[in-house]
Amino acid sequence: MAGSDQVNLIESKTVVPLNTWVLISNFKLAYNLLRRPDGTFNRHLAEFLDRKVPANANPVDGVFSFDVIIDRQTNLLSRVYRPAHAGSPSVTHLQNPVDGEIVPVIVFFHGGSFAHSSANSAIYDTLCRRLVGLCHAVVVSVNYRRAPENRHPCAYDDGWAALNWVNSRSWLKSKKDSKVHIFLAGDSSGGNIAHNVALRAVELGIDVLGNVLLNPMFGGTDRTESEKRLDGKYFVTVRDRDWYWRAFLPEGEDREHPACSPFGPRSKSLEGLSFPKSLVVVAGLDLIQDWQLKYAEGLKEAGQEVKLVYLEQATIGFYLLPNNNHFHTVMDEIAAFVNAECQ
Amino acid sequence: MKRSHQETSSVQEAPSISTNKKIKLKEEDDNMDDELLAALGYNVRSSDMADVAHKLEQLEMVLSNDDNAFNYNNTVHYNPSDLSVWAHTMLYPDLDPTRTTPSDECTTSNKRIRLGDSAYTESTTTRPVVLFYDSQETGVRLVQALVACAEAVQTENLSLAEALVKRVGSLAASQVGAMGKVATFFAEALARRIYKIHPSSVAAIDPSFEEILQMHFYDSTPYLKFAHFTANQAILEAVTTARVVHVIDLGINQGMQWPALMQALALRHGGPPSFRLTGVGHSEGIQQLGWKLAQLAQAIGVEFEFKALTVERLTDLEPEMFETRPESETVVVNSVFEFHTVLSQPGSIEKLFATVKAVKPVIITVVEQEANHNGVVFLERFNESLHYYSSLFDSLEDGVLLPSQDRVMSEAYIGRQILNVVATEGVDRTERHETLVQWRKRFGLAGFVPVNLGSDAFKQASLLLEIFGGGDGYRVEENDGSLMLAWQMRPIIATSAWKLRGGRG
Repeated sequence: MAGSDQVNLIESKTVVPLNTWVLISNFKLAYNLLRRPDGTFNRHLAEFLDRKVPANANPVDGVFSFDVIIDRQTNLLSRVYRPAHAGSPSVTHLQNPVDGEIVPVIVFFHGGSFAHSSANSAIYDTLCRRLVGLCHAVVVSVNYRRAPENRHPCAYDDGWAALNWVNSRSWLKSKKDSKVHIFLAGDSSGGNIAHNVALRAVELGIDVLGNVLLNPMFGGTDRTESEKRLDGKYFVTVRDRDWYWRAFLPEGEDREHPACSPFGPRSKSLEGLSFPKSLVVVAGLDLIQDWQLKYAEGLKEAGQEVKLVYLEQATIGFYLLPNNNHFHTVMDEIAAFVNAECQ
Repeated sequence: MKRSHQETSSVQEAPSISTNKKIKLKEEDDNMDDELLAALGYNVRSSDMADVAHKLEQLEMVLSNDDNAFNYNNTVHYNPSDLSVWAHTMLYPDLDPTRTTPSDECTTSNKRIRLGDSAYTESTTTRPVVLFYDSQETGVRLVQALVACAEAVQTENLSLAEALVKRVGSLAASQVGAMGKVATFFAEALARRIYKIHPSSVAAIDPSFEEILQMHFYDSTPYLKFAHFTANQAILEAVTTARVVHVIDLGINQGMQWPALMQALALRHGGPPSFRLTGVGHSEGIQQLGWKLAQLAQAIGVEFEFKALTVERLTDLEPEMFETRPESETVVVNSVFEFHTVLSQPGSIEKLFATVKAVKPVIITVVEQEANHNGVVFLERFNESLHYYSSLFDSLEDGVLLPSQDRVMSEAYIGRQILNVVATEGVDRTERHETLVQWRKRFGLAGFVPVNLGSDAFKQASLLLEIFGGGDGYRVEENDGSLMLAWQMRPIIATSAWKLRGGRG
């Protein structure tokens, strides 16, 4: 029922494997505990509950990782994931120049509705490792500052700092043209951050080759049809979405703010800009899909290149576990999108 | 399109195949944790999945029906990796929370299966080697030179090693900050190895001086504070109803951990227990320490008894020495950075475990450095410790301006560890740090089961860090019931707690 807290548990159980249901339900319940009605967030409990993993410079399944400090002032860390080549990397080889004519570097922004998770969260460490193998890429996962302690535009500023850092690493330059071949990617709030960092990149002259937006988090003041229809049915409620926007957007702002609504009444047109091509993945059971579809439409209407992948039966978080068709479909799409330029 | 995975379009649990795991027998399957969830940090047995799902549904209903769902903010959570137990304690918060996995039997058998099957010792035992870079050219060159030197030592190319160590020395001298200091210590350690300067001169240091160094380290970094705090929390939770608490501290040093515990005991609801402290050490100051603590105890109204046990090594300890009084007292064993020291001699750890078991403690609190500095191969040990101590030095560098004496002493304290890890061998190499994963195996094999530290301890430790204000880079992390203190996402120390399998508590 629209607006109600009653969730239709039985429906969500029929569309995902049981272990996925357990995983996402657990997140949902834990997150419910953390959001206080007054807009504050139980950060200590959030960190306690979050499963984290350390970086590992010893290759596991062909991928190794290490953490870097990008900005000491803001304590901005990122985790770098690289494909391992013959022999383990030693200390000195972590920043060896990338080996290839064209090596994509994906700057990844984890999800969590701007408030949850970290670059060292297990779910995102796993996802980033997959992306390395899939795209034969280096992945840089940004540990951006989160809401509500750090509101807009902190996350975007951190994303921008990371983009600059990546762009200026000599060891990330592809042999072909001595440039860093950069893609921006993210899920949920991370998708939103990717879009906004790309905007800044266009304005300030850093070349981004493509954006990968997985279930990106967008919204607006209207209640769309999908929000009404799907409210509470598949792990997410309109009410919790509202809470996260209130936590992220500057105090006093509403969801017409361009950060939330990039094609809404207050946003600038993208027409004529050399905005990167976008891969937008939308889950058919995600209640904010109308906003995501509007985003894809908006890009198209502004003359930008966009590929929309709509997965009718997918819920949020489908890309966290490799136990469903949607997962594999999307992984293939991402690989094709990133590697398109490597031919 | 070819796929190497199984596709699912239906409701049932989807078996998945990940490339590196062996295919298991079906019976083992059900008793094993769901692989996919395990990779994400959650331990749920496949056979429990439906039951856990049911619990989550119930929990959902309870939370949404209860207008004051935020009462749950006062609930203490334990081990969020174990969804079955977590959901259970949320549903039945008034029942005595089981703070270990519900069935100790199953835990052991899982561990036995894990130990025997190398497929399961995967990435968590491949010791993470983490490094962060300050992106300075000279820093990188310095690291390269250090590693090259270590490689030369490993391959016994001593003339090359000698040339390199000199180079490192000059590079380090021109490098400001943490990296330069770390490099200097590592260079010195390498030099001792190359020139075969005997470690016994390093070992023969006045233990009181060692304690002074540790005190400065205590004052200038949050590591020991965190260690003491989290260990004390676990102890307090384990002795809530005890009338007499007997703490055996395997490394009393300057006794910095105990005033806080005594204060907490003094404030205990219902009145303080008697507090008995047996301090193991080898310095002459222990008796005096006992006097000072006795004075504190008197001031705060806690009945206090102190005993000093001076031994050369921990393996000289025999259960009778502690003179425990099992009928009347509750015994606690505490070890901060002590357990790893006995790994230098074969058979020693088993002896220590046996001694600890014999006093029947309700809880054993253990704090250890979160690193594997006990590898057999010198080069691996070198790399691992280079990263670890780089992080540690970096944390000293950052944040609040330290009084220079504190910092210098803290650096010396850490420097001695570096020398020990890198320059010594055999019984003299006492800094044989191992990771939590490795300690879990050891404790498990010795017949102990974990006691989970909870969200309360986590929160308070986090608050302590904020107050300490030592810099933004510190974080507390929960790891399967234990707590770690990390610097810039790199865990530095870990606190864990244990009890005897089948024991009370």
